[in-house]
Amino acid sequence: MTLQSNTDEIREIEAAAAPTRFARGWHCLGLTEAFGDGKPHAVHAFGQKLVVFRSGDGTINALDGHCRHMGGDLTRGEVKGNEIACPFHDWRWGGDGRCKRVPYAKRVPRLARTAKWITSEQDGMLFVWNDPEGHPPPPEVTIPRIEGATSDEWTDWHWYATIVNTNCREIVDNVVDMAHFFYIHGSLPTHFKNIFEGHVATQYMTSAGRPDLGGTEGARMLGTTSVASYYGPSFMIDDLTYHYEDADHKTVLINCHYPIDANSFVLQYGIIVKKSEALPSELAMQTAVALGDFVKMGFEQDIAIWKNKARIDNPLLCEEDGPVYQLRRWYEQFHVNVDDVTPDMVDRFEHELDTTSPRAEWMKVVEANLTESSVAEAIR
Amino acid sequence: MTIQMDDRLSESPMVALDCRRCGAAVLARKGSWNQTSVQWNAEASAACLQRRDPDNSSAYSGRGVFLGCSALTDSIVDAVGDGDLPVVDEKVYTAT
Repeated sequence: MTLQSNTDEIREIEAAAAPTRFARGWHCLGLTEAFGDGKPHAVHAFGQKLVVFRSGDGTINALDGHCRHMGGDLTRGEVKGNEIACPFHDWRWGGDGRCKRVPYAKRVPRLARTAKWITSEQDGMLFVWNDPEGHPPPPEVTIPRIEGATSDEWTDWHWYATIVNTNCREIVDNVVDMAHFFYIHGSLPTHFKNIFEGHVATQYMTSAGRPDLGGTEGARMLGTTSVASYYGPSFMIDDLTYHYEDADHKTVLINCHYPIDANSFVLQYGIIVKKSEALPSELAMQTAVALGDFVKMGFEQDIAIWKNKARIDNPLLCEEDGPVYQLRRWYEQFHVNVDDVTPDMVDRFEHELDTTSPRAEWMKVVEANLTESSVAEAIR
Repeated sequence: MTIQMDDRLSESPMVALDCRRCGAAVLARKGSWNQTSVQWNAEASAACLQRRDPDNSSAYSGRGVFLGCSALTDSIVDAVGDGDLPVVDEKVYTAT
């Protein structure tokens, strides 16, 4: 039944350079509390250095980090009232990108305007809207609210950030990569479906526990149910339930990133856990931290692969792989002008994977591991 | 950047198919009995009755993602039964 080809032709890996144009869309820079102290913060994003600061009026602003006067570094300046003051000559820039005042000049020169990013604070997180064309976000492109984030019935965010030295397409590819969840993350997918539509890309997955991975979080769990969607190019909300023998633990996992440049990005995750009778307040927070560590381990496993893998535009896929090409077609909508977005990038596409054959193989691996460890136990 | 073509689709392309309930015209492909991909377009999405049904909350995720249409799933199964839609892993391959 296997398709055999007897040509001697070698399959070459093809890869164009990573795009230097950065995706249009909302990008989460992190928790608001990290930026809201009234001091300027440097953020390396979209190939530039941004200055992010909360002004006197309470709003958080994001501007290009270099003063248009003589190039001073605004991230080393000072917030004065509603403006960021350059440390070089005290030029004052407002959150709207305009120079408001040059204290030693009678008037501000013409064209005293710098690049700014529209910002939004929601559910404890800070977002910036990036658009190479400079348009504001259309009303239908929003980040959904996360009810648990502002509720006493859920924990606070447990947040983590790390720098990854590769193009961010690698992490987006994970949306469709069913098999890597077994080989890299030690989970056992039992159901796997992708849905791409508009600016949303979804991965619906259930997984079984790994009794052979002794002592890890994965061994204690019976399995997980996960509905994870990217809303735009970089911000994923995962409604993730961990099933244990005694109870279900409901969590929301954020998996988000923003590009530093074409070949590096900041990867962040945040997790909140729903409190319950089985998980009262303090225990819920401990669970969030423990699950966070588990997710962190997962990211580190991905990063170890990304560090050494080749960028590949023409992956060679078997029938049991997910829809990589269709995902990349979806992802492309964020890298072209709005007028150049074609229907095939945003039209609904569904792909439900048959996990039967992968599971049969993986169960053999699990059984073999269990046998091996019981033999090891016996001779000890 | 141009997105390349999935080789799997060159070997076994998607097949045009109408939903037997609402008539939505989609492209479908069966990788196996339990593996299905569906390419919709804007008209098909607009035509789907389950998608438009506000009481059909089970078809949607908690965040409003439409997970799939059972009438279309049935239509795909019927199309396989009628021989209108091949199942890829049941094709008999001969080495060429």
